[in-house]
Amino acid sequence: MTTIMDGIWRDHPIFSMLLGICSALAVSNRVENAIAMGVGVTFVLVGTAILIALLRNFIPQRIRMITYMLTIASFVIIVDKVLKAYFPVISESIGPYVGLIITNCIIMGRCEAFFIQNTLGQSLLDSLANGFGYTYTLVIIAIVREFLGFGTILNIPMMPESWTRWVVMAMAPGAFFVLSIFIWITRTLAGKDA
Amino acid sequence: MKGKASMFVFIIVLGTILTTLLVAVDSYTKPMIDRNAELKRKTTILQAFEIPYDAETIEQAFADNIRGRGTGGEKYYLSKDDTVAFIFGGSGLWGPITGVLAMNPDMQEIQRIVIMHQEETPGLGSRIAERDFLDRFTTKVFGTGLMLVPEGKSNSNSEIDGITGATMSSEALIGILNEDYVQFNQIVNSE
Repeated sequence: MTTIMDGIWRDHPIFSMLLGICSALAVSNRVENAIAMGVGVTFVLVGTAILIALLRNFIPQRIRMITYMLTIASFVIIVDKVLKAYFPVISESIGPYVGLIITNCIIMGRCEAFFIQNTLGQSLLDSLANGFGYTYTLVIIAIVREFLGFGTILNIPMMPESWTRWVVMAMAPGAFFVLSIFIWITRTLAGKDA
Repeated sequence: MKGKASMFVFIIVLGTILTTLLVAVDSYTKPMIDRNAELKRKTTILQAFEIPYDAETIEQAFADNIRGRGTGGEKYYLSKDDTVAFIFGGSGLWGPITGVLAMNPDMQEIQRIVIMHQEETPGLGSRIAERDFLDRFTTKVFGTGLMLVPEGKSNSNSEIDGITGATMSSEALIGILNEDYVQFNQIVNSE
């Protein structure tokens, strides 16, 4: 249970450990992109957790990193192919960033800090919790950014035609603003930096 | 030595298993991915001809309105009013740029350009795919070759206003257009 709560709140990957920020900034401009990216990262996390936790007693010490990279890369390629085959429109929006999941520090970080030294069951819970923590962050930021930047949520118009869009929210600076406010609010609520 | 051997064996075994898994996923998804690429090609061509379509009627709209000529790399498309369109492609700054160019039947004046795929810098080079930029090409002629000029300074009908901050990507696009135009001009006129 603590494992789950850690991933979702106490040791949240983004606002607590400040990992995975790059993709949180890039992909949170629309809610559908955020959901797709969140699901992709969670899938890679879970797949990697299962494989690494199962093999943890067999992986020679000196090639841990290589093993993580091989595993993560394989799952990311699977996510990329599945997106291209079944969701081509979303694949075009977040295409370049899917490949970058390999570099997402959350996954490497969890491999080294948790999956390599915990049981399969625990690793599975941790990966799901971290994936969920990452996804809900991206979705919250995307709701704010899509609403203010485009006037829609999940492409459903929410504001009248005459309303002026806050274009900055659709671009990188908007991402920085919203993410930092999010980190500020959540860290205050979680009692960090007290 | 034994330690090194076991590392080696581990990597080889892991690599083999993962590669097999990827090959399986690839062959399973390949037909769908190819089909999506084909649909994308068709919708881009429909957009270049400004023919309306719905997600469900892409194939129908394409079959009803467009004739294809030639094969392979020399293939070009004709709409009902003889507007010519062909697919152009080449290297951009970061990756391939492909798109569809629609011209009036005498292959002189540009009607519309639609970008199909590009991997340029988001927010800068990728602005070559924006409607605002591509609309600057409408009614321009190739002459001895299209040329980019600084924003606001075009004064001949072969000059195009560039985008500040997207110089290399737009120069790449112009180069690709000029090159492929020469090739297709020859192909279309030799019919």
